[in-house]
Amino acid sequence: MEKQTAIQVNGLSKKYKGTDSFAIENVNLEVNVGDIFGLLGPNGAGKTTTLSILCSLLAPSSGDVNIMGYNLKNATHEIKKIIGVVPQEIALYPELTATENLKFFGNMYGLSGNSLSATISRMLKEFGLENKANSRVVTFSGGMKRRLNLIAGLLHSPKILFLDEPTVGVDVQSRQVIIEFLKELNREGTTIIYTSHHMQEAERLCTDIAIIDQGNIIIKGKPSYLLSDFNKCNDLEDIFLEITGRSLRD
Amino acid sequence: MLKYFASTYKDIILLLRDKAGLAMLFVMPAALIIIMTLLQDSSFKALEERQLPILVRNMDKDTFGIKIVEGLKNSKFFAVTELGNNDSCTIDELKLRVSGGEFQIGVMIHDNATNLLRNNIKYNILQQMSDENDDIFGDEVITLQQSPKIEIFFDPVTKSSFKQSVTSALREFSASVEARIIFNVYSSMFNDLLGMDLQNTGSFSTMVNIDTHYASTNNGILVPNSVQHNVPAWTIFAMFFIVIPLAGNIIKERRSGVYTRIRIAAGSYFPVTMGKVTTYTIIGMLQATSMLLIGVFLLPVMGLPGLIIGDNYLSLIILTISVSLAATGYGVVIGSVATSHEQSSIFGSISVVILAAIGGIWVPVFVMSPTMQQISNISPLNWALSGYYDVFLRNFGIADIMGYVISLIGFFMVCTAIALYYDRIRKET
Repeated sequence: MEKQTAIQVNGLSKKYKGTDSFAIENVNLEVNVGDIFGLLGPNGAGKTTTLSILCSLLAPSSGDVNIMGYNLKNATHEIKKIIGVVPQEIALYPELTATENLKFFGNMYGLSGNSLSATISRMLKEFGLENKANSRVVTFSGGMKRRLNLIAGLLHSPKILFLDEPTVGVDVQSRQVIIEFLKELNREGTTIIYTSHHMQEAERLCTDIAIIDQGNIIIKGKPSYLLSDFNKCNDLEDIFLEITGRSLRD
Repeated sequence: MLKYFASTYKDIILLLRDKAGLAMLFVMPAALIIIMTLLQDSSFKALEERQLPILVRNMDKDTFGIKIVEGLKNSKFFAVTELGNNDSCTIDELKLRVSGGEFQIGVMIHDNATNLLRNNIKYNILQQMSDENDDIFGDEVITLQQSPKIEIFFDPVTKSSFKQSVTSALREFSASVEARIIFNVYSSMFNDLLGMDLQNTGSFSTMVNIDTHYASTNNGILVPNSVQHNVPAWTIFAMFFIVIPLAGNIIKERRSGVYTRIRIAAGSYFPVTMGKVTTYTIIGMLQATSMLLIGVFLLPVMGLPGLIIGDNYLSLIILTISVSLAATGYGVVIGSVATSHEQSSIFGSISVVILAAIGGIWVPVFVMSPTMQQISNISPLNWALSGYYDVFLRNFGIADIMGYVISLIGFFMVCTAIALYYDRIRKET
């Protein structure tokens, strides 16, 4: 059975005002419903720019994006309703408690009342934060903040979830909880678009990946296929270094 | 509405939890009002109430000198120290004591001043008489002498306004004494010529009464003083300083990723902006209330006049809401346009100081040059201050201050529109 397309990107380019070069240039992607799509690349490759455009936070210079059949140019409102975003930064208010943060972001999604409270309780429990529900975020460890950051993007049960480096700076245990949860979420039908530096993590999690460097998609495909294509490489990290090189990036 | 209320509630909680920040929002303006009012009150009193120390050396010892010294002593403006006959104070010594700061003013009434004055008056009378009456003063030989002289020495740091008031006071006293001496000379002349004995009575200085009043429609006793100017002026200044925490809050939110999340979740940043406006407008209102209460109740305890706020409370509330909205609107636009906390705090504080300066917060607009008076009209702080003057001093109603209210709300709307526009174009770049 042919899979439904969740995201279709054609010829997407972005040149920031006042710069000479493209942050991303002629990017073409297709993500199917139910995929966990990994957008991998070194620092400054264009991952966050691509993600920001897909989330309608940034207008593209050219190109076309369709998300679940909605065109980004004229249906941003509809798109925003069906997507969830987990930014790279801890996008939470440190002086609010976990529950207060989640209630606020739930309200921003138009959620309220008992159903929101029930969702918050369930998710806090799922991420092992139920005992910290009424503690201020400023007192949380890095891993706890990351987990809460993730919950805040999931409150409205989005069909597509964008994650920008969701496990950066967390311990192994927290990373494990996050990865397992994302897998579970995907099994329930959520399409996940994910950027990361962690090649092992991407290999474990993603159904499809694309490697972007200097604003261009260099390679894309299923991790297993890529490993077979690059038979000299043992894992995704080897492939990544093979195609992006070993020179340091800004 | 859910998003708006959630945002307002969130910002209120965040402010309440930032005890130090909250205290700063109220304690600093309160300190500012008290200090500025006390400072400016003393300079107000310097002109109106405080007595200037004045050193007088009267070498005349006759009517002119005695009456001048009496006049100075009876004036409420001067604390007179008169050097006695035994003090051999020369002009140089007098200058030295004034320039040394011991006295702000030194007055030297020269020797023989009364006689010189009398002589010159007689000389002037003789000039008006025909030749056959040139003996009305007997055998006395009357020629024009030099004018009697009073020399005034000022401390070099004395303000020109003080100089003016002292010189005017001395001219007034000497004119009064001259009039008395002229009367005496004529009196003695009439006595000699006609045998009429004129009684030397009556006042020579208060022939015309000049009553001063403040043109206020307020029925109460309303005296414009340092409190009536400083409390509203520095309250407005403090209210506008809310741009610093508000702009900082917006920039912090934008840089933390929360902004990204809100933009996606809420669809627009508008309800969140309005939530902030509501929260900070409430803070501005509370600031204004506490500052005005300080003016009414605390300043009198500190020996200052109490603030009179009139009885048009509705006008006061509407005006205060408008001022608070204008201040928060300015904070929102700075927070939206600035790209860093440093930028917003430097631009925010300096621009508020400039708007305050040209708006008449520091120096009342009426003492500015005509050009600056025109420029002051562009400052929202000037609209606010003029509005408070109208409510407090002129007891104006809502209709009378509506021009200021509309201007302030218009300023808020323009600022908010610019902020939202910037929010939109940020996406394009």
